[in-house]
Amino acid sequence: MSTPNQPVATIPTPLRQAFIDCAASRLSGVLRVTGQPGGAFHFSEGKIVAGETPGAPGIEAILLRSKRVDESGWDAAFAAAAATGREMRNELIGRELVGAGELEALLRTTIADAVFAVAYGVVEICRAEAPAAGLLVTLEPGAEAEWLLAETSRRIRVLRSFTDPVFNARARVIAVSGAVRPGLVLGEGRDELAALADGRRTPRDLAFVLGRGVYATMLELGRMQADGLILADSRPPGSPADDEEETPSPAVADDAETPGGLPRRRREHAGQGGRSGGRDLPAAFRLLRLRYGEGTSTGGTG
Amino acid sequence: MAEDALLAEMRTLRERVAGITGTALASRDGLIVREDTGGVDPDNLAALSATWLALAQRMSNEVGQGLLREAMTRSTAGCVAIYAVGARAVLVLIGDEGLDISSLRRDSRGTLDTIAKLLADSGV
Repeated sequence: MSTPNQPVATIPTPLRQAFIDCAASRLSGVLRVTGQPGGAFHFSEGKIVAGETPGAPGIEAILLRSKRVDESGWDAAFAAAAATGREMRNELIGRELVGAGELEALLRTTIADAVFAVAYGVVEICRAEAPAAGLLVTLEPGAEAEWLLAETSRRIRVLRSFTDPVFNARARVIAVSGAVRPGLVLGEGRDELAALADGRRTPRDLAFVLGRGVYATMLELGRMQADGLILADSRPPGSPADDEEETPSPAVADDAETPGGLPRRRREHAGQGGRSGGRDLPAAFRLLRLRYGEGTSTGGTG
Repeated sequence: MAEDALLAEMRTLRERVAGITGTALASRDGLIVREDTGGVDPDNLAALSATWLALAQRMSNEVGQGLLREAMTRSTAGCVAIYAVGARAVLVLIGDEGLDISSLRRDSRGTLDTIAKLLADSGV
């Protein structure tokens, strides 16, 4: 079903105006945007050097989830930057974890993705504040507000140009059963999207899982929807589709003593509850230890 | 049925807060009450959460910081938060790297109150 809550066709006026004003006043500070998803954009001399929003993966998620940079490398660069006061960007480049040009391009697209995610949602209040500390990686020189606004408008127009209504970033997507034949390789990143589109994840969630931009993810999902490979579901939670797979929790069935109440562990299930340290801890901890023990034995050498 | 209302409440929170990928409600002795975890083993999650809550509350008490509001782990690929639901249950939230923590802290309060009331209404 694809009956989404259509977002506005253009960038919300308060956001557009705030970007124009911050650029004109050569702001060095933070533009905070409340709304859904909302976010924060860091300006330096009127240019945008970083963007943060729950609606789109940041540079750390993009680098780590896409495996461009491994976690140990990132942690080492972070530790060194914290110890020496050097820019994290320089640490990443200096350790040859990522090229300078690639990092700049990724930062630019990540910022553009954050602006898109905020603009494609609901914008309430935009407020400029003093600079905030703690930014890990920034784009130097920053992106022009004018370019970001033009790029965001273009992206919104592209998504709205699909014949089928394009879902919003919070709609859940699900692969059409049987649409992808076993052994068929879709390419273009579609295989991963089809595999992960389980009816729970939104385009935003998929972007985080795969370490891709949310716009790029939505664009590909839009194409897949047009090709009949996926469906978008904007229904609120608790709708019938949600309930189809519901089965009583085994723990409830096995251990409940009072219907409708909390499950209670029967006496024979209770842990020994060792002396002092374990007295307040749940008896289920013992079962966990047993389970971990099994995992260790199966994962042993051999 | 209280459990259906519980699940609806948990799903509503997941829909409302960007970045929540799964939720679970467990009893204080580590049994799952309701789960919407999206593939994470609910029994392990329930057992760990109940243990973790007990430890976190003991830690808060030990350092004299009053009532525990939240305990959270933050990892490279996401985070997990737990909240006490009255004296008998624990709510677990699993989130990705982009979890909207300010929304979570704002919106989870109402969810906790509602879940506590549902559990109380069911005679627990």
